[in-house]
Order: sequence, then C-alpha cells, then structure tokens
Amino acid sequence: MSGVSIESVFKRYGAVQVVHGVDLTVEEKEFVVLVGPSGCGKSTTLRMIAGLEEISDGEIAIDGRVVNRIAPKDRDVAMVFQNYALYPHLNVAENMAFGLRIRRMPKDEVKKQITEVAEILGLTEYLERRPADLSGGQRQRVAMGRAIVRHPKVFLFDEPLSNLDAKLRTQMRAEIRRLHNRLGVTSVYVTHDQVEAMTLADRIVVMNDGNIEQVGTPMELFNNPVNTFVAGFLGSPPMNQIQGTLTDQGAQIGGHELRILGAASGQTGRDVVVGIRPEHISLEAGPETSPLPIALDLVEPLGSEALLHGSFGDTPMVLKVDTHGDVAHLSGVSEIHVPADLVYLFDAETGGAIRGQAN
Amino acid sequence: MQNMNLYSRGDKFFVKINMVLVALFTISTLYPFIYIAAMSFSSGFAATSGKVVLTPIQSTLAAYNVVLAEPEFWRSYLNTFIYTIGGTIMSLLIVIPGAYALSRPQLLGRRFWNLLVAFTMWFNAGMIPFWLNMRDLGLLDSYFGIIIAFAVNAFNIILLRNFFESIPSSFEEAARMDGANEFQILWKVYMPLSKAAIATITLFCVVARWNGFFWAMILLSDESKIPLQVYLRHTIQRLSDDEEFTTTLITAPYSVETVTAAIIICSIIPVLLFYPFIQKYFNKGILLGGVKE
Repeated sequence: MSGVSIESVFKRYGAVQVVHGVDLTVEEKEFVVLVGPSGCGKSTTLRMIAGLEEISDGEIAIDGRVVNRIAPKDRDVAMVFQNYALYPHLNVAENMAFGLRIRRMPKDEVKKQITEVAEILGLTEYLERRPADLSGGQRQRVAMGRAIVRHPKVFLFDEPLSNLDAKLRTQMRAEIRRLHNRLGVTSVYVTHDQVEAMTLADRIVVMNDGNIEQVGTPMELFNNPVNTFVAGFLGSPPMNQIQGTLTDQGAQIGGHELRILGAASGQTGRDVVVGIRPEHISLEAGPETSPLPIALDLVEPLGSEALLHGSFGDTPMVLKVDTHGDVAHLSGVSEIHVPADLVYLFDAETGGAIRGQAN
Repeated sequence: MQNMNLYSRGDKFFVKINMVLVALFTISTLYPFIYIAAMSFSSGFAATSGKVVLTPIQSTLAAYNVVLAEPEFWRSYLNTFIYTIGGTIMSLLIVIPGAYALSRPQLLGRRFWNLLVAFTMWFNAGMIPFWLNMRDLGLLDSYFGIIIAFAVNAFNIILLRNFFESIPSSFEEAARMDGANEFQILWKVYMPLSKAAIATITLFCVVARWNGFFWAMILLSDESKIPLQVYLRHTIQRLSDDEEFTTTLITAPYSVETVTAAIIICSIIPVLLFYPFIQKYFNKGILLGGVKE
C-alpha cells in the first residue's frame, strides 16, 4: 500500500520546536492537502516526508517502510517545488529526463516516458524549449512532468500554484485534480490557500502553529469545524465570529437575542463565540431568523453575488448575498437576519466547538 | 505623438560627463597597447629617438624577425602555455569542488573552514619561507612546482563560493530528489548554472598565469623552463649588455625597444584570442526561468 504514515513527528531547530508531534495517515491513492497559515509547519512536514529535512523525533513510513534514515532519492517520492526549480540550462525534455538519466534508464525508455508524459501534460510541442521560453503555467507543467515520469509512489506538492496568476491557478488546480484522478498516485499537497485545499483534497489537514487542528473531508471541515481556528480558516469569506453568552433560546450578543436551534441547554450564562457564515446571512426575515443591526461601510459586487462589509457593534462582519443583477439597493442595508439552524457555537475560552451546524 | 522629455537637464549632463570619463578611460587603457604595437613595427632608430607616438615610423618587421628566429623564444612560449593551461586546470580542479564544499550549509565546521581559507588572503608565510618550502619539497626548477604551488587562490574560492550560495537551494533539492549525489549535483546542476562565475575565475587564472613573472623568476633557474615573461626580461638584459648591438643602433633596423615591443605583442595575442571565447559567458540571467522568486 503506497500510503504515508506519520507518527508523533517532531521537528526542532536547536531549541525551537516547529512541529509538535504530528500524527497523520495518508491512504493509498488519496489526495491530502495540508493547509494553514505561513509558519504553521505544513511545508516542514512535507519536507520531512521528502527527506529534505531530518525528523527530530517520531517516525515516517512510506508504503509501509520507515524512511527516517533513508535518503530522498531512495524514498520513491517526487516533489513539485513552489518555484518550479527547473534546470535553466536544460530544455523541457532534458529537465524531465534528468532523474531518469541519473538512474541510468535506457535512452529508448527515457524517450518513451517523456513522450507519454509530455502528451498527458500538453507539452509535446515545447520539448525543445528552455524554461525561460515558457509561460508560468507551462513551467509548472514541466515541473509536474518531471515528477510524473519517475512514476513515484508518492507525489509531494509544495505550494505549486502560488506563483501563478489567479486565472491560471484555477486552471492548473483543475488540471492537477484531473491528473490525480487519472494517475491515482498518493499525493500530499501543501498550500496556504483554503480554496485550493477545498477543491483539490480528498481530505484536508488544517495545521496551526506546528499542530494538526483537524483532519477531514472538505465538507466535514466546512460544516463541522472543531474550533474557531478551523472555522475561520475554511470558507471564503471566513466565518463571522461574535462574542456572546448562552441563553435559554440561543445566545445574547451585543445586547441582542439570537435564536439558535438546538442550543446547548442547561448552560445558560456560558461565554461563547457565535459563528455565522457570511453566505448563511439573509437580508429578509424568515420564520426562524433573528434580526441583527449592521452598520454597512462597503459593498463589493462580484457579479451574481456581493460581499457586504460592515460591523455589528465593535465586531466586523461580512455577508455574502445574491445581487439579482443590481447592487444599488444593497448600500441601504441596516438589518440582517440570521437563521436559527445555521449558527455555530464555540467555547469562548478554548475555542473548541460546542456544536456545529444544526442540519 | 508628443516627444516626451524623460530626462532632466541634470540627467543629460550626468550622462555626458560619464561618456567623457568612459572615453578617457578607454583611451588610457588602449593607448599603451597601440603605442607598443606601433613601436614593434618601427625601425630601431625611430624607436630609440622617441619618434613613435601612435603609428609605426619607418615600418619594418625586423624586430619580429629577430624574436621569431630565437628558439628560446618558442621554448618559453611553449612553457607559458604549459604553465597557463596546466595551472588553470589545476586551479579549477581545486577551486570548484572547494568552493562547492564551503558553500554547503551541511558542511561540518563550515565557518571554521571558511575562516581558514580567508585567513590566507590576509596572512602568508612570505617569500623566503615559501622558497625554502618549495626547495625542501623538491619543486624548484620544476613544471609541476609552478603549476601546483599557485593552484589555490582564496579570492577565487570565496568568489565562487558566494556564487554557489546565491543559487536557490531548490535546485539542489530537486536534483537530490531526482537521485543525484553530491558530485552529480555539482557537475550537472551547479557548474552549468555557474558558467559565468567559472568563466570569470578561469579568466583570472589564465591572465595571472600568462603574466606570471615574479615567482617564475624566483623558482626557475633552468633556462629551458622559464616562461615568456622571464624570457622577456632576459632578452632586454641581454640586448642592453650587448655592446656590438648598442654601437650599431643608428643603422640597426631594430633596437631593444622594438624587440621588447615585439615580444610583448607576441605574448598578448593568445590572451586576446582567448577572451572572445570566454566573453559569451559573462552574461547575466543564466538562472532566468528556472525558478520563480
């Protein structure tokens, strides 16, 4: 089984510990995305899997074999780097063949592999070109091609799309996912972009400050974040989080009563963080909604939708609403309506989830 | 379309001043060469009487005939080639792996080794201990002695080490993932990426070796092993001491000055021919497109 198993892995640089006992199992053929803010330890974890960083403590196994003391070249993994790392003095074909030649693969076989992979990636007509003569997307494809030709057990991606423009990133994201569906190689992908994580992953691993916060499918994490960090990290725009106190019917926030279906009973008076996703907020009252006043200061039209930025008391809030082709009426919004069944509750002290989405 | 004035009067003045300075510098660099060339093609009398300024006076190839007819000239010419080619190859063989090793963060005691190399730039044993050392090692009057004794140059090592350090580590990591060992990383990745720096060092080595005079004079007493520069000195000395030659100066088609100039021109030609081949590597942007910063 070509999976990756990470057990209680620590990484220390001198006295500074940057990864604090990470446990993770990546199943065979699974596409796992490590996501988190800069400095959360996701790239270090990936580099430890690759063998580019030593493991201070713990164990990493690839395909059932412990690789702690095995050189990167013998781990049977291939990596796509953030900055491509294409050899500028070699053309596309030579770049892709580099690893195969080092491993002394017969020339005919090398040529066959390159031709096959170039065809998959649409690089056939660029094989003679140098990296400097390629566009950003083409370079990224060559970097992937260099990984694919080796037929490794595991692909490692270190923020491979972060240097591309937004449009190309969307396009390449889809290409990577299609490629994974086609090749079915176990993949570990690092990104700080939650959209990439949501769209690419079979499972997402949210990391923060050297720890894993939560592991799950994109929708599991989106619907049931285990704490305020995950809730705030996944979703675009992120979840609104407002300090409040539990009441019998819901929560008291900023002097307003917010009805919450299935609010934890018997905990009246408990300090909580109320989470409301921007897209769950409505401008019209419904049978199970609570009104909240909002001081609007900015309307960002996105086409079919618009983002409304404002504040509830001292708390900044964002909501996402349908424009129905017009945004003029949105600037006058002063009241929003929160559905009672779509409210999250977190403990104010620990940030841990008290309850996720009700439905 | 309106012709926009993108440069202020001050900018234009600055550019003009720069151009004048560059022109003066070029002339001051080029003139000695032109003067020596003119001298080598002039008659002995014209040279001695100080008539040569820019172009040959009483043009003649007499000085060249004298120089090229000397078997010692050709022998010293060959010796210079041996010292230059052998010495440069030896230097590169030591400097490149040395600089690579010193540039690796994983090198144990890296700071110490770097300091040790830099130390030799500030302090060395001095001429007499060096000569004694060479004598005791049996390297006096030896081709190999000259080649090996000056093979390591701390400045070149540091120059190349800095260049290696400036190469993004992802190249090394990518090569490592591709299965390359240290030697392959150096040979197949770092060296091709450092062509410009290696070309610079090669040029430094070649020029230093080609012009090598002082140590060759000190370490070589066997006439058959001396390089061109030492031969040049011997020739000037010999012709100056030659009474018969100096008494016929007015009628002689060549003089000490024209013969010296002819030897200098002969010795410059190989370096002039070598430079264009190496010049193409003096370009920036070798890393262009390989990584996205």
